[in-house]
Amino acid sequence: MRRTHRAGVLLLLPAVAVVLAILVLPVLQTLLLSVARNTTSVLQAFDFAGLANYERLFMTPRFRTAIANTLVFAGVTVPLELVFGIVLALLLNRNLPGRWLVRMAILLPWALPTALNALMWRWMFNTEFGLFNALLQGAGLIEQRINWIGGIPIAMASMMAVSVWKTSSFVALLLLAGLQAIPREVYEAAEVDGANAWSRFWTITLPLLRPAILVALLLRTMDALRAFELPFNLTDGGPLTSTETLSLYAYRVIFQYVNFNLGAAAMVVQFAIIMVVALLYIVTLRRDPYA
Amino acid sequence: MPERRASLRDRVALWAIVAVTVTVSFFPVVWLALTSFKPAADIYAWPVVFWPSPFTLENYLTIIRESRELLRYIANSFIVATATTALILAAGGLAAYSLTRLAYRGRGVVLIAMLAVAMFPPIALLPSLFDGFLRLGLLNTYTAIVLGHTGLYLPTAIWILASFYRTIPMELEEAARIDGASTLRIFWSIILPLSTPGLIATGLIVFIMSWNEFPLALVLGSSDAMRTAPVGISLFPGEFSFPWDIISAATVLAVLPVVILSAVFQHFIIGGLTAGASKS
Repeated sequence: MRRTHRAGVLLLLPAVAVVLAILVLPVLQTLLLSVARNTTSVLQAFDFAGLANYERLFMTPRFRTAIANTLVFAGVTVPLELVFGIVLALLLNRNLPGRWLVRMAILLPWALPTALNALMWRWMFNTEFGLFNALLQGAGLIEQRINWIGGIPIAMASMMAVSVWKTSSFVALLLLAGLQAIPREVYEAAEVDGANAWSRFWTITLPLLRPAILVALLLRTMDALRAFELPFNLTDGGPLTSTETLSLYAYRVIFQYVNFNLGAAAMVVQFAIIMVVALLYIVTLRRDPYA
Repeated sequence: MPERRASLRDRVALWAIVAVTVTVSFFPVVWLALTSFKPAADIYAWPVVFWPSPFTLENYLTIIRESRELLRYIANSFIVATATTALILAAGGLAAYSLTRLAYRGRGVVLIAMLAVAMFPPIALLPSLFDGFLRLGLLNTYTAIVLGHTGLYLPTAIWILASFYRTIPMELEEAARIDGASTLRIFWSIILPLSTPGLIATGLIVFIMSWNEFPLALVLGSSDAMRTAPVGISLFPGEFSFPWDIISAATVLAVLPVVILSAVFQHFIIGGLTAGASKS
C-alpha cells in the first residue's frame, strides 16, 4: 500500500494548499489581528494588545445591538424555515401534479443571488410604488401605505420574511432526502395498526427525520448567523442600526472605519458564536438514538 | 407514503397546493421581469401599473446605450464562475477521490477538517485576503476573486464529490489494480467516467454559488472594471434614488443564467445538494 499512500497524499495536495491559503491562514491571522493594535498584517507588525480590542468592542452599544440583531434574526428565521421546510418536503414527497414546476419552485429561491434577491424585495417593499402596498391597498386591507423597511421593528420583520422565503425551500430539499430514506413498509405497518396520518407523522416521520432535521438546522443556523448581503442591500442595516448584523458591523469597522483590529475582534466573537451553536447541534446529533 | 387513486376532491386540493407553492416561489422574479418591461413612467406610478403597457425593451436598450458597464459586470461573473468551477472540479475531484478511495492514515481527519473549515464565515477571511492580495498586487484582478471563491467552496465541493465517489463499487478499482493499472490511470479511465454525473452536479452547484457570492467579490474586486454582477448592480449609483428601471432590467439579465441552469439541470442540482448534506 506504500504506493497508494504517496499517490493519495499527492492528489490531496492542491486542494489542501488552496484551503490553507484561502481559509485556514486568513482565519488564524484574524485571530491574531484581534489581539494586536494598529496593524493590518501580523507579519508586518505585531504590537500585542491583549484583550483591549474586545473590551472596547463590548463597551460599544452598536456592537451589542449587532449581536442582539444577529441572534434575533437567526432565532426567528431558522425555526420558521424548519416548519415551512417540513411542510414543503412532505408535499414534494407526494405524487404531486406538475412535478417539474414544483421542483422548480423549490429550487428557484435557493438559486437566486442573495444580494440581488434583496434588491428585488426592496423594490417590492417600496413605500410609494411597491407591489405589497399596491396589493394590500387594492384588497382594502390598508389605508396608508406602509414603509416596510423604514421603521423599527418592521424593517427587521421584513428582512426576516425575505430570508424565510429564500431559504425554506433549501431546508425542504435537505429534508426530502431524509424522507425518501424512510422505508414504505414502516408506514404500511402503521396503517394496518390503524394509525391516522397525523399520528404517523408524529410517531414515524418526525423521529426518523431527526438526523436530517439537525443537519438542516446546523447549516441554516450557521448561515443565518453570518447574514451579510441581505441587510447590506435591503436595509443598509437601518433604520439606525436596527437591522445591522454582526457581519455587516464587522465589515464596516474594517473597510469604512479602517480599524482591522477592532473588526477582527468582532469577527472572532461572531466565529465563537457560530462554533458554539455548531457544537451544540453536533453533540445533539451524536446522541441521536436513530442516527 | 401509500398512494391510492386520488378522488376528484383530492386532486383539486393537490393542484391548489401546487398553485400556491408555485405562486409564492415565482412572484418576486415575475414582478422583477414585469417591472423591467415597463416604461419608466409606469414603474414610478401610483396606483401601481401591474401589466406592462406598452410592453417595452427600452430599459434593456438603455443599458446597451448608456450603462454598458452593467453588461461588463455580468461578463465578469461568467469569467469568475467558470474559472472557479474549473479549478474546484480539478482540485476537488482529485482530493475527493484520494479521500474516499485510497487508503492512508489521516484521511478521515482531513475529511472532517474540510467540513469544519466550510463553516468559516466568509467575512472573517476578508481582512487577510484584502491585505494579502493587496501586497501581492492582485487586488482587483480575476485571480484574486477566483482564488477566493475556489477556497471558499472547495470544502463543500469535496464533500459532495466524496458522496458520489462512494457509490462506485470498489471491486472495479481492485480489478484494475490487479491488472497493473496505476492510480492515475484508474482515476482517469474508471473513476472519472463513472463519476461524471457527480462532477456535473458539483460543477453546477459551484458555478451558481460563485455567481451569487457577494462579500469576497465586493472586497477583492471593488474597482469598477472588476465588479461581478451582484456587486456591480448593488453598487450602481443613482442620481437621486436607485434607478429601478435600469436596475430591474440588469437584475433580470444577471439572474437569467442561474434560473436557466436550475431549470435545465434541475435533477442534477437537487441530487448534488441532497447528496452532500445527507452524508454529513
